[in-house]
Amino acid sequence: MALIEARGVTKRFGGLAAVAEVSFDLQDGEILGLIGPNGSGKTTLVNVITGALPYTGGDVRFRGDSLRGLPSYAIGRLGVSRTFQIVKPFRNLTVVENVMVGALFGAVGGARALADARHRAEEVLDFVALAHRADAQADDLNVPERKRMELARALAMRPTVLFLDEVMAGLNPSEIDAAVTLIKKIRDRGTTLVVIEHVMRAIRDLSDRILVLFHGEKLTEGPPQEVLNNPDVVSAYLGRRFVEQSRA
Amino acid sequence: MKGSRGKPLVIGAAVVLALALAPAGLSPFLVQFLINLFMLAALAESWNIIGGFTGYASFGNVAFFGIGAYTTGVLLTAAEWPFALALPAGGLLAMAFAGLIGMPILRLKGHYFAIATLGVAETMREIVYNLKITGGGTGLTMPITRSALPFFYLMLGILIAATLVNWWISASRFGYGLIAIREDEDAAAAMGINAALYKTAAFALSGLFAGLTGGVFAYWITFIDPEGVFRVIVTIQMIIMAVFGGMGTVVGPLLGALVLATVSEVLSTQLVSLAELFNGFIVILVVLFMPKGLAEVIRKREFSLRKLARNLREYRV
Amino acid sequence: MLFLQVLINGLLLGGLYGLMALGMSLIWGVMNIVNIAHGALIMLGAYATFWMFTLWGWDPFVSLPATIALLFVYGYCLQRFLLNLVVRAQLFLTLLITFGVEVVMVNLVRIFWSSDLRQVTPGYAGANFSVGGVTVPYVRLWVFMTTVVLSILFLLLLEKTRLGRAIRATSEELRAARLTGIPVAHIYAVTFGLGAALAGAAGGMWGMLFPITPIMGGGLTLKSFVVAVLGGLGTMMGAIVGGLVLGLAESFTSTYIGPTYPNAISFGLLVLILIVKPTGLVGRRG
Repeated sequence: MALIEARGVTKRFGGLAAVAEVSFDLQDGEILGLIGPNGSGKTTLVNVITGALPYTGGDVRFRGDSLRGLPSYAIGRLGVSRTFQIVKPFRNLTVVENVMVGALFGAVGGARALADARHRAEEVLDFVALAHRADAQADDLNVPERKRMELARALAMRPTVLFLDEVMAGLNPSEIDAAVTLIKKIRDRGTTLVVIEHVMRAIRDLSDRILVLFHGEKLTEGPPQEVLNNPDVVSAYLGRRFVEQSRA
Repeated sequence: MKGSRGKPLVIGAAVVLALALAPAGLSPFLVQFLINLFMLAALAESWNIIGGFTGYASFGNVAFFGIGAYTTGVLLTAAEWPFALALPAGGLLAMAFAGLIGMPILRLKGHYFAIATLGVAETMREIVYNLKITGGGTGLTMPITRSALPFFYLMLGILIAATLVNWWISASRFGYGLIAIREDEDAAAAMGINAALYKTAAFALSGLFAGLTGGVFAYWITFIDPEGVFRVIVTIQMIIMAVFGGMGTVVGPLLGALVLATVSEVLSTQLVSLAELFNGFIVILVVLFMPKGLAEVIRKREFSLRKLARNLREYRV
Repeated sequence: MLFLQVLINGLLLGGLYGLMALGMSLIWGVMNIVNIAHGALIMLGAYATFWMFTLWGWDPFVSLPATIALLFVYGYCLQRFLLNLVVRAQLFLTLLITFGVEVVMVNLVRIFWSSDLRQVTPGYAGANFSVGGVTVPYVRLWVFMTTVVLSILFLLLLEKTRLGRAIRATSEELRAARLTGIPVAHIYAVTFGLGAALAGAAGGMWGMLFPITPIMGGGLTLKSFVVAVLGGLGTMMGAIVGGLVLGLAESFTSTYIGPTYPNAISFGLLVLILIVKPTGLVGRRG
């Protein structure tokens, strides 16, 4: 049984299907890349799976149990976490306090006592190399720092599955490399990941498999080499230049 | 929200001790003033739970105050319960009401939530006005008590309790949840916080202390009627005291109540309208210049005209 | 027949409610300010009409343009020199400041003009006519007609004039409006002035039907809010429709349930609508 089994997930807004009959499996320990042009439904798919939006159709099973209909806090507690594309820091708290929220309320078995939560938060901040900013106001962070805090918050929940929504947007090449290394470390520590990205070299580097969405539908899925060279994917999303570059 | 918890506790205990001994040396007038002050401070602390920590600025908390007042009042007069039972009953009923009405109303955001709470308070006044059991428009008269002293200690006790609850919230898992909800409710939910439950609990707690305050008020003031109890200005006072002192902090509402109630008292020796007028101006000035409150000013140790001007520039068109 | 009478009463009053709500809906829609002092503006309009009638003998319908002008200027200044300073603050703070303004206004009136009940009673005050068993006081009819005229004029202003276009542009996309050279601070002030003028006009007419006191505004603010929400925020038609609905609801409750219940009904309606269909009966807006 796959860790996550999505079957026919559909989300309509009025007449428009933002996500249409998307099905996929997520295997334990893998990194699944999720790509597609803007508006193809990637974030909406994550929103539906994590309970931020109601389903129009389909179902998603986590370890065999259906997630459909569960409120987002319940899904978070079960061990399915996500980051937000536009980061949502708790502005009036410090960085470590932000991460503590994740530790306090995360997956069942999480820290209930503040001291334990703080301990775990400090550990996570260390892991994402943000420990030196632990006592800074969340509002004072720059963009890459905010992204790492967003990541740290989700990690503090000790998730089994983590959806990363464009964590690399706005990062420069060396920051992207650091992010890739970090994400690999997260997988090595035992978290299964779904990574939404537009940065192709990062996706190619990270993913065990890639799933492509186009206009809300699954276009194809498979190993990176296959998918990124698939002519349909190229014409729908990548454009010829990328293919030529990657062949070079 | 961190650091040693010992020092404030010691200071607080000292203050409480001083207050407890105060009636021995103060004039009856000052004792009454203090009772009023404790009441306003307790209301500000109670509002702080839902408005300051949770970020849901309720404009109708006087409804809970009034429910507490009237429940206690009716039980004292019509049912002839002892005050020792009537008071908790008032508080509990107000708490239950807050919890119940909170469930649908807390789903609203921003303006809608604020006005809905205002509507609840107004509706409560109308309902109380129309019921026979509450004495309708003519009001209720309590049995006379001989001394103001019991009320002094009761109000002080409720104030201490409300402050302690705020203090507990400021460093507890529950409090972190409320603050997360205030900062970003969607993110809070994604991180495992049952926002609906937490919000409602905060609202109910707020209602509990407002209700208890109302119960004591009813017996203290001896006569209550809908117009006199369900006054919007009461909600405004508790809000502005919390905001002025620093909403979302433990000590802020106390500071705010202390300063504003004292000045208001000084002014109201003239006219009732003058005190309200003063309140109105304070509201305007605080929003313009000190929206983060005294506590923030003290914390950051800056109080320059430049800082005040900066606030203006941030918020203007 | 009673039913028809109740219906007519409700409609006549509802027109006035609609006019009241128009002002609030406009300010809310354009600047996202819920003006708690709205009722106080209505109150001011009522007092203005009263004083012009009492001191100079001006008929309340005749003095209406003066009331409108006065309240417009007052509203303009209030927005330009005070509210513009906090327009971008959190919702809660703008709400709080208008609360402060309301308290100041009401108490100043209390101090200077006392809390005595006033009313504007021109010579034709008690006269009415009957049609098919329904009695209609002339004043109510003329008030209704005035509200219709004013509403139409206002809607025309909003739709057809350059000013109206500027206002609508500012409400829809602030930054773009700025970029096209629209003086936002001024437009905001004009908008608030218009809202205040509408409120003042409504107050002037209210004063002919009901007693005028410094505290009359509180309930009217809430009623205007109910109507604005009922109809659907930001839609002007919605305010008018909502007003009629509230007027009818109050008329029927007052007659068939009890005269002291209409207020509770309107607030109850509000809470109900907010829970069931927050976008209102007519339109929808973010």
